Amino acid sequence: MQRRDILKLCGAAGLSLSTPIGRSLLGNDDLPQGELPFYGGPYYVVFNASGGWDTTYLMDPKGTTESNRLYEQGEILSEGNHRLAPNASHIDSGMSNEDFFKNYGDSLLVLNGLDYSVNNHSPCSRYMATGKLDSLSYPTFAALVAACNGGEVPLAFLTFGNYSSTGNLVALARVPYLNSLNRLANADGVQGSARNPYHDDFVSERIERALQSQMQSRLLKRRLPRVERSQNMLYAAQLNSKALQRVTPFVPKSSPKERLSRQADIALASFKAGVCVSANLTIGQFDSHSNNDRDQMKLIPELLAGVDYLLKKSEELQIRDKLVVIIQSEMGRTPTYNDNQGKDHWSIGSAMFIGAGIKGNRVVGATDEKQFVVAVDPQTLSIDEHNGTQIRPEHVHESLREFAGISQHAYSKSFPLKVPTEQKLQGLFSNDR
Amino acid sequence: MSPLLHTRRRSYTDWLLVTCLALSGVGLTVSWAWGYQQESRAHSPPSVSTSQTQHTVVPKGENHLGPACVVDRFFVDEVWSKLGERVCLKCHQDGGDASASDFILRDPSRDRTKRAEVLRQNHIAFQRMAAAKHKGQSRLLLKATGHLEHEGGEIFKPGSTGYQILKDFARRTNHPQQKDQERDAQIAANIPAFFDSIEMMPPRRLLRRVTLSLAGRLPTDTELALVHREGLTAIRRILDDVMQEDAFYERLQEAFNDILLTRGYDGSGELALSYEHFTNRLWYQERDPRKGLSPEEAKKLPYSHPKMITYTKLIGDYREGMRREPLELVEHIVRNDLPFTQIVTADYTMVSPYTARGYGIYERLKDKFADPDDPFEFITTKIDSLKLRNGKPAQESPTGFYPHAGLLSSFQYLKRYPTTETNRNRLRIRMYFEHFLGIDLLSLAPRVNDAAAITAEYEIPTMQASDCVVCHKVMDPIAGLYQEFYVVDGKGIYGPRKEGWYEDMFSPGFNGESLPQTEQWRSLQWLGERTARDPRFPVAMVKHVWYILMGRKPMLAPEDIDDPLFTARRRAYRAQQGEIERVADEFIHSDFNLKVVFQELIQSKFYRADGLAATVRDPKRLAEIDDIGLVRLLTPEQLERKLTAIFGRKWGRLTDPESKFKILYGGIDSKEVTQRLPDPSGAMGAIQRILANDIACKNVAADFALRPSERRLFPKIEIDIIPGVNPAADEQIRRAIMHLHELILGRFDSVNNSEVTRTFDLFSGIISDSKSRAGISKVESYSCQTLAEKTPRDADPDYSIRAWRGVVTYLLRQHEFLYE
Repeated sequence: MQRRDILKLCGAAGLSLSTPIGRSLLGNDDLPQGELPFYGGPYYVVFNASGGWDTTYLMDPKGTTESNRLYEQGEILSEGNHRLAPNASHIDSGMSNEDFFKNYGDSLLVLNGLDYSVNNHSPCSRYMATGKLDSLSYPTFAALVAACNGGEVPLAFLTFGNYSSTGNLVALARVPYLNSLNRLANADGVQGSARNPYHDDFVSERIERALQSQMQSRLLKRRLPRVERSQNMLYAAQLNSKALQRVTPFVPKSSPKERLSRQADIALASFKAGVCVSANLTIGQFDSHSNNDRDQMKLIPELLAGVDYLLKKSEELQIRDKLVVIIQSEMGRTPTYNDNQGKDHWSIGSAMFIGAGIKGNRVVGATDEKQFVVAVDPQTLSIDEHNGTQIRPEHVHESLREFAGISQHAYSKSFPLKVPTEQKLQGLFSNDR
Repeated sequence: MSPLLHTRRRSYTDWLLVTCLALSGVGLTVSWAWGYQQESRAHSPPSVSTSQTQHTVVPKGENHLGPACVVDRFFVDEVWSKLGERVCLKCHQDGGDASASDFILRDPSRDRTKRAEVLRQNHIAFQRMAAAKHKGQSRLLLKATGHLEHEGGEIFKPGSTGYQILKDFARRTNHPQQKDQERDAQIAANIPAFFDSIEMMPPRRLLRRVTLSLAGRLPTDTELALVHREGLTAIRRILDDVMQEDAFYERLQEAFNDILLTRGYDGSGELALSYEHFTNRLWYQERDPRKGLSPEEAKKLPYSHPKMITYTKLIGDYREGMRREPLELVEHIVRNDLPFTQIVTADYTMVSPYTARGYGIYERLKDKFADPDDPFEFITTKIDSLKLRNGKPAQESPTGFYPHAGLLSSFQYLKRYPTTETNRNRLRIRMYFEHFLGIDLLSLAPRVNDAAAITAEYEIPTMQASDCVVCHKVMDPIAGLYQEFYVVDGKGIYGPRKEGWYEDMFSPGFNGESLPQTEQWRSLQWLGERTARDPRFPVAMVKHVWYILMGRKPMLAPEDIDDPLFTARRRAYRAQQGEIERVADEFIHSDFNLKVVFQELIQSKFYRADGLAATVRDPKRLAEIDDIGLVRLLTPEQLERKLTAIFGRKWGRLTDPESKFKILYGGIDSKEVTQRLPDPSGAMGAIQRILANDIACKNVAADFALRPSERRLFPKIEIDIIPGVNPAADEQIRRAIMHLHELILGRFDSVNNSEVTRTFDLFSGIISDSKSRAGISKVESYSCQTLAEKTPRDADPDYSIRAWRGVVTYLLRQHEFLYE
């Protein structure tokens, strides 16, 4: 029996296509490599500056003595429509703001004055990742888009940390080591060797057919909802894991030292092989309650270098035009220093976006000189201090869902953001209104 | 009808009441509304004397699930569940933003034993507001829509779900109609018992689940016979024995680390001890074989040298012992049937011969160890009060001992959840609430109007801005209780903050009670005592065991009141909560014996639910039973134990330190990766395939090489028995398959069962295929031979060894094996 025939049985058995098995069986007729699922983009990468970055040292410069001790207002730089804090002379490694904006300013969308509403790591991380503050059950955008677009591929949602709730829509994958990909790619070979299979071909085929036959019989049986879901997910996970074979050619021979680059390599190889939809990349230690400037001058360049690495490598792999990159943190840092030369939590911050379909060289939203939110007219995206809307994560996520074309998907609807129509940000990403 | 489920009417609103048609499920009483105590008693709930304190419980045998039969169904299910609890209560309670208003509510979840009475009072409060009029309109509706100077502004827009519920409530209050009562009664009559049509797992399979889950082994023949004779009742006795086994305590430690994550503190194990107080923490360096040697001589002792191997092991054992200490306390309490409240009250700690050296108290204790060379023999002791390196006291202590308070004062716990100058012990308190009271503090007030603006507006926002105060008045007094243990980043001196405790924080105390000055030196003991008698403590502990057994936390309350399945989801949530509270009362009755919680939850229908007796198509019923059934993907550790139990040897690749599969397969490192993965990704699917291939490879030919009486997998079949020769051979193969199904999958199939037939077809199909192919080797694969050095390789003239290997591979990939 072909998988498409099982699909019919799924329908007969009342099995929702929301489960991975259902999705994996859809559209197989035009898939490459026989029936193994393949996802061809767009690919979503979320960079997390975990701990809370200092936006005044990046895309929302102030230059006042209270806010920034490393530069003055007159030293603030611009690149196109972007304003940026100068930091090239303060960093030892990584990528400077100057280089980053010079290379990517044209395609970069900056969102300033993002109101997280609270200033604790845990709820802020959740809010920024899901667009929903007061729920523990909502999926992150990365998980949601993976579930909607390609939940059947084996590493649909890849995470290296940060808040990664899936809303039970898609399995979360952790692949912390590059060489693990090779090992997983050849699961049926002794020691991962494709030339030395455990079983003769006809035995493997028999085993797969027996499992398929068993699955087919189970579709017709009464099962508890949890049993049904888990059996379907297990079957899909094992079956679709064979698609990992496609990863091997794209696994770099050596692993870079930088932590974000290592994560990027795993994500890119998985994208290129068609086995991944979205990836959460993260570095921590931004929580600079002591020695803010020292820490931020180390970490912001590291973060930007990671983004740069991903974008350049994606060009080499010829998938740059399918890549959507979100660069975010769960909060900002206070406008002033504390007694330890540090900065504490601030509930206002920024985010950056770059990639396929995003119109760059734009800055939306703002903070005032004291780093308070300035409201925005959702229709025009221009500043409207008195009658505008304070942009919050749910506004961004509503737009992201629209942008990704998943806002009407049943999964999205089951986790509604309930942004009033008049507050929806028109053309945030494409500026096409 | 159960006496617990009788009809009860209230004089103040007779017309509102509906007949309580609570239905009785099979052994579990369930009623029509989705939660809350069904009965408000005229008398006070009984209390139970425990070794620690007085705890109030719901009267034994009463229903923890049920609705407030005395409280209006519509109020409970619609007004309270959807609006009151979720919205109004946040401000309209003592200490809330609207505490000065006339509309004051109480939180029924704060003390489960008073829930019915609290709900009744809340109902009255809502009725008063609904009945009060302003220019002919209900004040309840006017306030909710932002009129009459409602400081909370517009809560519900006219036409919204919330508004409509309030409107209906106001109408029912002001213009009660007989049809309301009839409609409610109709709804009540049509609701099935919660476990209606849910099949329970047969005792024999339940036994296997329990022994594998808690002791990492298969049931013994004696246990199977006992269960065969006595059914479910035997499980309780068997469990008593299982919970004496060392393997149970290995599981218990692993499980409590999943919850507490104490193994995951920064740095090597001995760094739990501050060098400021424990200058002996590096005692092992005295045993370094290289000590006193010249650099040239030291080079002659590489790490592969036997002396260095011994030395390295000693360090590793010491560090492991240090990480285990908090979990050893958990084990000690449970193993000795001590009140589990001791996790917050124990005035002692656990030490091994090695960790005692780190504390500098080995000489004092060495005679108390049965084996002073056993790095993992733990005994109870008290350590001396902390001193500085110069010998001066770092903490005041009238007793001369460190003021132990179970885990609260454990150095590992303090190190795992350190503090900073800005954090001020608040992380510790957040974890304290989560671990010991089951409260997510950050959910108390998830949104403020504008945190940045508030920060700028108030001098001390955490004490002045109501948005902040709502959490900080709960959190900061307890943070102050930790002031004697203040140490930034877990490095340095454990003692009072040099500059004195922060004055811009609420003063130390707990739950409105201030810490007396005389108790300050033992503030954590003071906290532990209050924690132990807090009604939330037993519920939190039951939820921990629920997590251990189920692999997931209990359900969260549904959030979206516009969801048409809200009521069904709410019923499911309350059903779980009711069961947890019932078990919490049993826990209290047993003087906090945690084994009782394991017993009760394992006997619970939530743990035993296994299937559907009838097809369910109603979306509401499907939503109700959505979380029913254990159905847990085994963790890497559980899977390794199961493999060992079945095949007699571990695989190792899921848990060995050098293996990279542990994290890939959803495991945790207690530090960076702290949550286990509940569902298999494709990466995990690949590992399952590797496991199935490799385990079959290593065990099939090896098993056949043993004498039949010694075999685990194939005791009653030989490789020359092949299918299709004669009916007797086929039956023998089928029986061999039945044995494998039982051993690997825990299935008890009959010889003609369809699954046995499917496996038989796989076996015979492989053999048939092999015969039709040219060039097939007559020996087993080199990689899967019995012994690596064996020559010649295992003979396999009929391809049957390899066919059986295919069968075992197939079985190891199945749901029944990979899940529990």
